[in-house]
Amino acid sequence: MSRRWGAISAETEADAEAASEPPATTVETEWPREYLRDHTAHILVIALLALYPPVYHTLLNSPVSAETQMLLPTVETMVGVLYFGLFAISFDFISGYTGYLSFGHAVFYGTGAYTVILIANGKLPLLGPGTPFMLSLLVGGLIAVVLAILVGLVSFRLSGVYFAMITLGFAQVFYVFVRGWDYVATNPRDGPAVGPSHAEGFQIGAPGIDQLSLSIGVLTGDEVALLESTLSGTEVSYYMIGLVVLACYFAMQRVIHSPFGRVMIAIRENEERAVAIGYNTYLYKLGAFAISGFFAAVAGGLFAGFKRSASPENSFYFLVTGDALLASIIGGFGTLAGSLYGHLFDETVREFLSKAGQGGGLLPYLRALLGQETLDATLVGDTTIGGLIDLLLNGHASLYVGLVFVLFVLYVPDGLLGTLRERLGGTFAEALPAKLWGDSE
Amino acid sequence: MIVEALAEFLTLGELGGVIVNGLAKSALYVMIASGLTLIFGLMGVLNFAHGSLTMVGAYLGGLLMVVTVTGGTAPLTRLGLFFLAIAVVFALLTVLGGAIETTIIRPLYDRPPIYQILLTFGLTLVIEEVVRIVLGVYDLQPLSDWQAALATKPQFLREPVALGPVSAGWMSLFQILLGTITVVGIWAFLTKTRYGLYIRAGSEDTEMASALGIDVRQVFTVVFALGIGLAGAAGTLLMWDPTWGASVPLAAETLLPAFIVVIVGGLGTFRGTVVAALVVGMADAVTTWWFQNVIEFTGLPELVLFLVLVVTLIVRPQGLFGVEEVGGH
Repeated sequence: MSRRWGAISAETEADAEAASEPPATTVETEWPREYLRDHTAHILVIALLALYPPVYHTLLNSPVSAETQMLLPTVETMVGVLYFGLFAISFDFISGYTGYLSFGHAVFYGTGAYTVILIANGKLPLLGPGTPFMLSLLVGGLIAVVLAILVGLVSFRLSGVYFAMITLGFAQVFYVFVRGWDYVATNPRDGPAVGPSHAEGFQIGAPGIDQLSLSIGVLTGDEVALLESTLSGTEVSYYMIGLVVLACYFAMQRVIHSPFGRVMIAIRENEERAVAIGYNTYLYKLGAFAISGFFAAVAGGLFAGFKRSASPENSFYFLVTGDALLASIIGGFGTLAGSLYGHLFDETVREFLSKAGQGGGLLPYLRALLGQETLDATLVGDTTIGGLIDLLLNGHASLYVGLVFVLFVLYVPDGLLGTLRERLGGTFAEALPAKLWGDSE
Repeated sequence: MIVEALAEFLTLGELGGVIVNGLAKSALYVMIASGLTLIFGLMGVLNFAHGSLTMVGAYLGGLLMVVTVTGGTAPLTRLGLFFLAIAVVFALLTVLGGAIETTIIRPLYDRPPIYQILLTFGLTLVIEEVVRIVLGVYDLQPLSDWQAALATKPQFLREPVALGPVSAGWMSLFQILLGTITVVGIWAFLTKTRYGLYIRAGSEDTEMASALGIDVRQVFTVVFALGIGLAGAAGTLLMWDPTWGASVPLAAETLLPAFIVVIVGGLGTFRGTVVAALVVGMADAVTTWWFQNVIEFTGLPELVLFLVLVVTLIVRPQGLFGVEEVGGH
């Protein structure tokens, strides 16, 4: 608890600093510089993420290509990191900042995903298959807001473990319902896929203006010629989805830094006191839940838009919330951006330690490195070395992720970003400019 | 159509069958939930790994049966071996539970309760993958029920028995018997033994109990270990039930109903858990009958379980027998 109080007092100090800024005349000429200074960390992170595909591509065609393939996640995985990272951020928004563990958050993710696919298949009234993707995202978000308010009206009468359980209960009701409802798909257990009525890729950009939009998807994404190289559909998807995720992140961060967000933190720290000083915490919690649900649905919509199909298991199921939970704990609970890094960490570990998709990882690398003879060598009885590494590394990523997670809970309870903040005595975004350019005072 | 169906539902034979089924389901629910409720009542730890440990119990029990039973083993010998297997699994998992509590749960008591949920959630991932790896070594399918273990069930347990106009399965009666033994056993342990007194005192007020000279830390370890042992025993019983069976998804399949039972009953009250298991089991049996005979919607019984949870939390947030303060954990 003391850490959190420390973090708050550090933030209020920053406020006080802002209030005692130099006189207005200098501020007017200084503001672009100040603005850039405040956002140094953001610019740095965005630049790193933006450079990832070309760097990965270059490394793949360099002498260290085998190592690159082993260590780094593919661009396609990174697209998943972005949209699922957004979901984890929205989970952290409600759970990490108000302290109410939303264990049924997957229901909003699933709502967003299913809305996009149902609209594309012309199964939602009033909205035909030609509805722009951006509008579908918005519609999915709004449905999720309504759902969040309905669920929240009941659930926020409870707190603690009971809140976690009732949201889980609601989410499972929807999961079972969607799994059995044959309107959404011919085989509802496998979930819906985008049908022939919407063969082209989903477009992100200004709706209705082709020149300002690009399609996403592994096969359906637009290819863009840039300088001498061509960006593949996956890479275009990476950038376009990244833009949406970035906008959503800034929107949520804005809310957290607003007076509304301060009340959310007050609810987490001491709800009784927040009530005592006159806040109607019920409404604040409901509002935060609705906002969080909206962005979770946008994340789900991006997921469906990229993958072009969804199943109850990878959208509505409670283990999807579990993945978001993993991400925010590893990244840092109540740090917002940390959830994205947490999920990146999670995915990297998964891909490195287990053969998943095209991502390479340790297994193929070891196979190539050791050679067939070593692999066939027997250890004990009829177990070969190859059989052993296959046993340990083929598809058992959850084991290692689980171990990492347990170690994090035990020894790094504040997560990656939370620990960094504690070391720096403030947020990274504040500490970095001070390190780079000295104090502003 | 509904009226006709209702008339059929209310005939003695059908209703009796539903009641026996409901009691059998209740017996299973009380077995998978009682460990969870003991642990939560005393320690305030919501153990997410409970389902996984039930699954481990199912596999261990199955292993013991497969190793000891051959084709020619007589039915009664099989039953005897089964009770032996339950005892062995209970002992093994009690030791495992004690080890888990002392090594990784204990450092978390002074943290907010959310960290215990998180830790046990991580534990679930680890346990499930370890089981998958072991199954991989023996070429067993993790997703489908373990048929060899199911085959060790004596033939007469597969057959129906007529109780007057009611036709019930021997398996249901067997499950009801085991569920009753469990409930009576835990009740006697909690109310008739000195250790049970410690546990009830600790659940009421941990600080006061330790001020009166009870080694609460030790009681915590014992209760956690026993709770895990119960999970294992329940798993062994489920291994013989064809609708559950020993498989990796059994973990999630048992965890969610166990949570529902515990929450509906009121966190941490054993009496509430027993009543809730009866309510949930009956609701399950009734909707299963309707789903099989009248309404066609897959997953209806599952839906009803969660609706029971949601309605209970709306009407009586602390659960049927819950005390409001326990929820503050």
